[in-house]
Amino acid sequence: MVRLPYTTALTTLFSYGLLFAFGQLRDFFRKFVDWFKAKNVKGYAPICLGLEDFYVRRLYLRIQDCFGRPIASAPDSWFDVVERTSKDNNKTLQRTSNTTRCLNLGSYNYLGFAAADEYCTPRVIESLKKYSASTCSVRVDGGTTKLHNELEELAARFVGKPAAILFGMGYVTNSAIIPCLIGKGGLIISDSLNHNSIVNGARGSGATVRVFQHNSPAHLEEVLREQIAGGQPRTHRPWKKIIVIVEGIYSMEGELCKLPEIIAVAKKYKAYTYLDEAHSIGAVGQSGRGVCELLGVDPADVDIMMGTFTKSFGSCGGYIAASKEIIQHLKHSCPAHLYATSMSPPAVQQVISAIKVILGEDGSNRGAQKLARIRENSNFFRSELKKMGFEVLGDNDSPVMPIMLYNPAKIPAFSRECLRQKVAVVTVAFPATPLLLARARICISASHTREDLMKALDVISRVGDLVGIKYFPAEPPKIAGADHDKLE
Amino acid sequence: MGRRGEPYYVEAAPPVDVNKNTEWFMYPGVWTTYILLLFFAWLLVLSVSGCSPGAAWTVVNLAHFAITYHFFHWKKGTPFAADDQGIYSRLTWWEQIDNGQQLTRNRKFLTVVPVVLYLIASHLTDYKQPMFFLNTMAVFVLVVAKLPNMHKVRIFGINGDI
Repeated sequence: MVRLPYTTALTTLFSYGLLFAFGQLRDFFRKFVDWFKAKNVKGYAPICLGLEDFYVRRLYLRIQDCFGRPIASAPDSWFDVVERTSKDNNKTLQRTSNTTRCLNLGSYNYLGFAAADEYCTPRVIESLKKYSASTCSVRVDGGTTKLHNELEELAARFVGKPAAILFGMGYVTNSAIIPCLIGKGGLIISDSLNHNSIVNGARGSGATVRVFQHNSPAHLEEVLREQIAGGQPRTHRPWKKIIVIVEGIYSMEGELCKLPEIIAVAKKYKAYTYLDEAHSIGAVGQSGRGVCELLGVDPADVDIMMGTFTKSFGSCGGYIAASKEIIQHLKHSCPAHLYATSMSPPAVQQVISAIKVILGEDGSNRGAQKLARIRENSNFFRSELKKMGFEVLGDNDSPVMPIMLYNPAKIPAFSRECLRQKVAVVTVAFPATPLLLARARICISASHTREDLMKALDVISRVGDLVGIKYFPAEPPKIAGADHDKLE
Repeated sequence: MGRRGEPYYVEAAPPVDVNKNTEWFMYPGVWTTYILLLFFAWLLVLSVSGCSPGAAWTVVNLAHFAITYHFFHWKKGTPFAADDQGIYSRLTWWEQIDNGQQLTRNRKFLTVVPVVLYLIASHLTDYKQPMFFLNTMAVFVLVVAKLPNMHKVRIFGINGDI
């Protein structure tokens, strides 16, 4: 749920309409200009319809310097952004050898493991010497080491499930698993804002896919009742199984899932639940165990828990944690387990070390400090942004903070001006978000210091005034005397 | 609007429609923008050609007919087709909107707009020919194309899949 001024909604739609009209007009004239250059082989259909890449050609390329910026150092709280130039209005971009030292508000470096760590990095280097950079094998061939088995046990223990299975790529964890869990005759009910990996996994499964309104347990119940009453298409036989798929933190909204309510609805109608914790594992919860810990849900109530190691743990890959029977079934049937190269042993060691730091098994309390710091940093940053008058999505304790921009012209304006002030932010626009709801997504890290956050707030406030994205009245500043009295 | 006066806020909830080609029509402000665009188009025609208001409304009505017929009822597929595997390639925008559900609020609004435009244009031109004929043909084609019975119908194979 987003609040925006009505005039902003009108101007945003008008802006997109204008961009669309100009794009269509240029396409129209391009047809005539290129009429004599037609290279279609006679009798063959075109490989790519012109309509399908309209957005990239006519809207995205205009501002593509604001996306996909290359960096030249580890994505810690500060990093080096490579400068790029263009001689043809952003149709092509050339990298230069210059870099800019910027404050990093764009990486998913929630716990600060993306850069060198005093506990993790020596062990990773040691495992690199012992195991080499890759097994060059699939898990069922020669690709399983002691590290892989150790991490599977550790991941299962960490999330509170009996067993777990590893994959070398986070996206594949969803897109290759869902077809193994459900097939024709099954029903998948997916949140409308689920990640593309879930969407593609659901499509690849062959099951019927229905969508419920984002984070709405009431609409989920409505969809479940309707689909169970109606049965399968045409035959109306009962569904073989039903899976409800939700995410712990929605990466474009920073919003926590209403997990207790959704679990209650799913259990009422005897549907399985699949929880994608790609962003929330390691980032929320008292000891980093994700939204189950934060929202007080027993992990036994969630049938399948998915997570990635690519965000809070500073590594790659993902896991599925479930009962022993489900994990055994996946190990026998999942193509990502049977055919894909196994996870790199140093990457596995990085995750093992990171989880041990979080659990405090490294002999210190650095994990607890990191978790406390990201919670404090996130809540501080969010409250300060809201006081300034920005529309900030997401819940408290969530390290993902979308700042709403709305108008398409403000996307490049905000991004470029922040970069000029040495603050790197990620802007997100249609089609990754709905048309009206373009935003800048801030990701807070435990490695950000209070001075970093104050500098970021100052820059964002000035750029926000310049660009005009403070859609709400700012909170009046507190009286200095009152603060002084409180201190005494 | 800036700081002058209290702005009017609306709430936007993400819709269930996952088709990016029609999802934007579910958000607040779309109807108002649509009507304002028609009004500004009328002002533009008036200021450019200096003709009578009725003739300007006729021009707006015919332009609206041409544009909406092309983009709503003729053109198939979606310009944002990166990941929907072509399931909308055979559907016009009118067949995609609201997930194909008929008689929704958006469909009723889009059906009423050409009728109101037709009434305004005909009344202001005093029902004179040939503008009356052109207006009637435009509104007839648009309204027939929007009827629930015409869902996925291709008369004589016109605009059908080859």
